[in-house]
Amino acid sequence: MSGRIATVFSLGLVLCALSVVNAQYQARRLFIELERAQAAARQLDVEWAQLQLEQSTLDKHARIEANARRDLAMEPVTPANTQYLTLGAK
Amino acid sequence: MTRAAAARGVPFSASPVLALKLPVWRSRLVLFALFAAFVALVCRALYLQGISTDFLQKQGESRYARTIELPATRGKITDRNGQVLASSMPVKAVWAIPEDVLNAPPEKLRQLAALLGMDERDLRKKLDSDRSFVYLKRQVEQDVADKIVKLGIEGIQTRKEYKRYYPEGEVMAHIVGFTNVEDAGQEGMELAHQKQLAGVTGSRRVIKDRLGRIVEDIESVREPHDGKDLTLSIDRQIQYIAFSQLKEAVDKHKAKAGGIVVLDAKTGEVLALANLPTYNPNDRSHLNGAQLRNRVLTDTFEPGSTMKPLVISLALENKVVTPETVIQTAPGRLTIGKATIGDAHAHGPLTVAQIIEKSSNVGTTKIALQMQPQQMWEMFTAVGFGQQPKVGFPGAVAGRVRPYKSWRPIEQATMSYGHGISVSLIQMARAYTIFANGGELLPVTFQKVTEPPQGQRIFSPKTARQMLDMMETVVSPEGTAPKAQVPGYRVGGKTGTAHKVVGRQYANKYVASFVGLAPISDPRIIVAVMIDEPSNGQHYGGDVAAPVFANVTANALRALNVAPDSSVTDIIIPADSVKESM
Repeated sequence: MSGRIATVFSLGLVLCALSVVNAQYQARRLFIELERAQAAARQLDVEWAQLQLEQSTLDKHARIEANARRDLAMEPVTPANTQYLTLGAK
Repeated sequence: MTRAAAARGVPFSASPVLALKLPVWRSRLVLFALFAAFVALVCRALYLQGISTDFLQKQGESRYARTIELPATRGKITDRNGQVLASSMPVKAVWAIPEDVLNAPPEKLRQLAALLGMDERDLRKKLDSDRSFVYLKRQVEQDVADKIVKLGIEGIQTRKEYKRYYPEGEVMAHIVGFTNVEDAGQEGMELAHQKQLAGVTGSRRVIKDRLGRIVEDIESVREPHDGKDLTLSIDRQIQYIAFSQLKEAVDKHKAKAGGIVVLDAKTGEVLALANLPTYNPNDRSHLNGAQLRNRVLTDTFEPGSTMKPLVISLALENKVVTPETVIQTAPGRLTIGKATIGDAHAHGPLTVAQIIEKSSNVGTTKIALQMQPQQMWEMFTAVGFGQQPKVGFPGAVAGRVRPYKSWRPIEQATMSYGHGISVSLIQMARAYTIFANGGELLPVTFQKVTEPPQGQRIFSPKTARQMLDMMETVVSPEGTAPKAQVPGYRVGGKTGTAHKVVGRQYANKYVASFVGLAPISDPRIIVAVMIDEPSNGQHYGGDVAAPVFANVTANALRALNVAPDSSVTDIIIPADSVKESM
């Protein structure tokens, strides 16, 4: 009788031990995944900052003005060549 | 042997070997030896488990646990519309263990030198040292660093760091400033807001597995805190307009230097601030002091006639005169004590409004001498002259206003037209917020404000309005600055032309300035321009500084979508305008 109880308990013990191993394994696997996702987030952050910087560099007024004047032959606006519209006026 | 014995039919118990009579001490010796070995094992186990356990655990941990530094990024600086003015990018510092690197094949060293953009000889010189650690180059861009790593030279290592990029370059240099290689602010806003911008690096202890992957945190993570972003009051577009117009004027008049500041007349925010000479914050290899100087804030100058509107307003406020009061300015000369002051042209009798329009020194002096020195001193102090402006900018200077008790009459006279008193351009621009805000002086700020600031009353709204109307006449064809006219808008301002003090003498060098507001019907911006030592023939504020004001104002008002308040689209500039007095 006592031998049977011992068998049942030891079987339970082995199962518990295995589940601990499994849980630890899962935990580490998920942790690695989390790490990867966080690294990707950081990378995207860097890329975003880089793109902002690039945008700032490309839409610099000095550059736009030079391009507008040289390539598109544009001229500055003056009140003399502007038609002003007033909201609500007939 | 037993089997052999069994095979021979001898029973085990009768084996002759057992019958051997051995001395008892031999078995005792074996027993003792075994026991002694066991005791030794127990002692060792006790020692390892009990006494040296800390040491061993540490050793074990150091084999799989790592402390990882979590770098924090410095905050971005943006303009009022969120456009990036300064941003940090991860780069690499390349360092070497000289001994290992010098063993590398020469071909590889040549490639390394090329990638680093260095001469091979310089590289070898750097490596020729006894130290075990040498920085080869800092702030190497990521793709170049990757190529260097790919070369696979032994002893070459990289370390992550940040580099600051300034997309606006020289246009924004004096406001934004720059950081050093350690990412600490050195100038401008980068220095003023170092605390807010700088991040706090964090760290974490982790367990790494065989492949170097992090599998577990051991201790709680010290989170890194990224620096906070900073939003300035600067408008990138207006800044560019101001910078390019100032540059054009400084080049045209062969001036030594120049400064310009544009304020929002309603909030006191600095919309643009530019200085010349300037520098490129992305390449600071050939910097000199003159380039670094933020003249608008750190240089004081005798402002000249731009002071007159303040003094005349004080007289109007104290009912010493009205705009229509006639003052005799003939013969264009006035002797006070031993000194004589004069006008560039003799004008005869002028109304107070015309004194501003023609910028008469004699007229202003006659009005000023009807007031007490203390009244003038109190007004100068109230508008912030002689006090360090509270703008949150490193190195902003106070200027100089001497205590009124030591003023002689001639000094009171010269101060009324801006000599014998020194101010910075930003102080002057700020003083003009009084006229834009019905007599209230606004604080000046470099950061975007969300609610209108509390003004400080200096003059009554009536006085401010009267002065605004007088300043509009300055840009009329009869005034000193017809070149300040802006098509489509009513503008006003005051020219200033001052002799520079060299040593203790006034020299034949000038500072030409113009401070103006627009549009006059409801001022939105204040533009203050200062050109230092124009030396191409012209030196009057109305010729040198006023056109800069006109161009900046025209473009800035358009950029701000301000509706025109004048139908005049063609302006008349007389061939020979009124020369102002110095």
